[in-house]
Amino acid sequence: MANNNEGDSGEDPNRGMTGGTPTAGDAEPIQAHKPGWRSRMVPYFLIAPALIYLAMFFAYPMFQGLMLAIFDDDAALVLVDEPSLDGDEIERLTQGTRLNILGRQGNLLTDQSDATDLLTEQWFLVSGEAADGSEVSGWTFEARVRVRDEAADGTPVGGTIRPRLGAGADEATPLLAEPNETSDTVAELEQRAPVSIDDIAILEVWFQVQAAEDPSTASGWAPSRFVEVFDDEESGRVDEGSVGEFTTGFISKMFNDSFFSDAWQTTLLLMVLILPLQFVLAMLMALVIDARLKLGSGFLYVFTLPMGMSDLAVGILFFSIFTGNGLLNSILEAFGILDGPKTFLSADTIPWIIFAIVLAELWRATSIVMVIIVSGLQAIPRETLEAAELFGAGYWQRVRHIMLPLLLPSIQVALILRTILAFQVFAVVIALGGGDIVTVLANETFRQYFEFRNNNVASAYALFILLLSMASAFFYLRAVRAQTEVAKT
Amino acid sequence: MTKTNGMSASAAGQELPPLDSPEVVALHSKMKRRNRRGRVFTYVSAVVIALWILVPIFFVFSMAFTTEDTVRSYPKNFLPFVPFSTETMSFFLSSEGVLRGLANSVIVAVITLVLSTVIAVPAGYAVARYLFPGRDLFRLAVLAVRAFPIVVLSIPLAVLFLRAGLFDSVFSLALMHTALALPTTILVVSSVFASVPYELEEAGQVFGATPLQSFRYIVAPMVLPGIAASGLFTFVLSWNEVFAASVLTLENRTLPALVLTSLSNSSDAFQFAGGFFLMVPSIIFMFFIRKYLFNMWGQVSK
Repeated sequence: MANNNEGDSGEDPNRGMTGGTPTAGDAEPIQAHKPGWRSRMVPYFLIAPALIYLAMFFAYPMFQGLMLAIFDDDAALVLVDEPSLDGDEIERLTQGTRLNILGRQGNLLTDQSDATDLLTEQWFLVSGEAADGSEVSGWTFEARVRVRDEAADGTPVGGTIRPRLGAGADEATPLLAEPNETSDTVAELEQRAPVSIDDIAILEVWFQVQAAEDPSTASGWAPSRFVEVFDDEESGRVDEGSVGEFTTGFISKMFNDSFFSDAWQTTLLLMVLILPLQFVLAMLMALVIDARLKLGSGFLYVFTLPMGMSDLAVGILFFSIFTGNGLLNSILEAFGILDGPKTFLSADTIPWIIFAIVLAELWRATSIVMVIIVSGLQAIPRETLEAAELFGAGYWQRVRHIMLPLLLPSIQVALILRTILAFQVFAVVIALGGGDIVTVLANETFRQYFEFRNNNVASAYALFILLLSMASAFFYLRAVRAQTEVAKT
Repeated sequence: MTKTNGMSASAAGQELPPLDSPEVVALHSKMKRRNRRGRVFTYVSAVVIALWILVPIFFVFSMAFTTEDTVRSYPKNFLPFVPFSTETMSFFLSSEGVLRGLANSVIVAVITLVLSTVIAVPAGYAVARYLFPGRDLFRLAVLAVRAFPIVVLSIPLAVLFLRAGLFDSVFSLALMHTALALPTTILVVSSVFASVPYELEEAGQVFGATPLQSFRYIVAPMVLPGIAASGLFTFVLSWNEVFAASVLTLENRTLPALVLTSLSNSSDAFQFAGGFFLMVPSIIFMFFIRKYLFNMWGQVSK
């Protein structure tokens, strides 16, 4: 056993900490440090960075991601009873609803976080001399002031009140207490009165809207950023919602996606084809390694080579074999089986693509199963096997009746691991199947994200893969436990 | 488990007394014959399996070091590396984005290696050396993270990084790879620490070393090879990772992401040379890691 010689020799056998052996995880470490709250806290300090990191970059994004699949960020537009953030909700309209625009008003912009192309208006805080000679100050709409004086950076600092046009118009311009049409008038200024501009407020336009197709709904106010206004300036639609809602929409969109059933069936088909073959091959490889041949460590190195390889590289590897002018065609022609190159990887030869993917996955992922099984084999007491041999059990009998039952926990772990990885099979499929001829779940996740730019449906796919993984892990845990119990009775 | 124990069949057979009774002799020779046949069968299987693994690698390597005409030709020449040429390789390396992709891959893998080792070493030490309430829960949580599908994690992380303005940077990809590598690294590091007896550390302290000193001068030299191996494993994991890399980067593609997204419109020569570059680190590193493989997966299967 080349792997665990170090550390074993100098150790007290009663410690139960046999270092590198596969059983090391079972060994309980000794309470190494003196009691006292300070030393009791030490291990928590040591694991804290790992915990914080996993919380930040694993748990939190995972939670966010699963929310993406079931939570629609802008599902509905809330209409409130007055054009202000404090208004009470009176109606919710779903995204896309046609609107009639009944009125508009500015409202002080409080957050500019994601505001880029907002419909805004400016109000000025002006001060000047009123008709009676007193100094007055108040807010007025930008359009009421002709800016005549600007600071170096372009900020308006002074101007005159514009004259009002049209018959019957009030000649005086009211100054308001707040930059809001509904606030009280505090003073009035004559036209052409010189003013200084003391402050500028940027207001977002709010619309008073009503659902166009359903006049029975109440009208209410909503910020213009959520509304797309049509050319007539009197109608529009809900462009984006202001509040999120839980929805099954993305999940049903995934189920109804035209590639979904293909992807799901292919993933399952590959798993059913690959897993049994893989475990037989892995068992064979493990028995070869366990036989301790001369050159054993050389064989171990070769057998584990694929473990470190990326699935993409393996995909390319098998592409080089199955492609039109590849190795397989060359060999077949050299042996006279084929007269010319046969196309294996095309839309007309999907079974061949599946076959190539199965081979590639067998090549790539069998090593890890083998390593797990070898770990399990090494934990089987030699005495047990020798006793069986003395009682006349042949090699295959020993494999069947002693090794396999004792390997059950290892096989369970390998099965869970391989099944989870099988749901994620991705690059091999793209390399051999082009990404659209043969598709799998992970590929659809990628496409939804990368090609269709639909994070929500991509997350729904991811959620689906996660649930499948968890369900299969649960199933294996139950199945293997049940089998162990049957074996005991 | 010593070597002699391992040669189970013949060694155990000889210990049976009395050896000269006819039944035992007959049984013994039968077992020996069966054994010899078994060993021949085992060697044949070993060689066949080794060929099954080596031939495809060999083929891509020979394609990566030949002329472009040979890559296109049909039927293929079975003689390796004939004609030998760096034409494919230089074509690949001069293709747009390849050198940058290589550099990005190295940077991401190195950041991942450093970050995950720095975080995993204390945690692994705690799991190996201390009995504390919550230890099993922590181990379980770490294992659960390992079992989570990568695809599930990369989409939300992409969205988060987009919001945080960290999208399409090698650093954000390294953060993701660290999250992926951390669980395995913690488990491996803890098994490496567990293989150094605590008595040694204690002995150091008996002779007057502080806990930190005995860690620095006694434990650290003994665990260094194991931690180096886990670091290499992390490096290879990051180097190979293609799904998250394709999702999280756009301009700053790593090599696997670059090769994947250009698969449909690149020549065979580009693909084979790319495959070669993707495989080389793992082939080298597997050689150094292989001793620790069973530590890793023995741990995981607990």
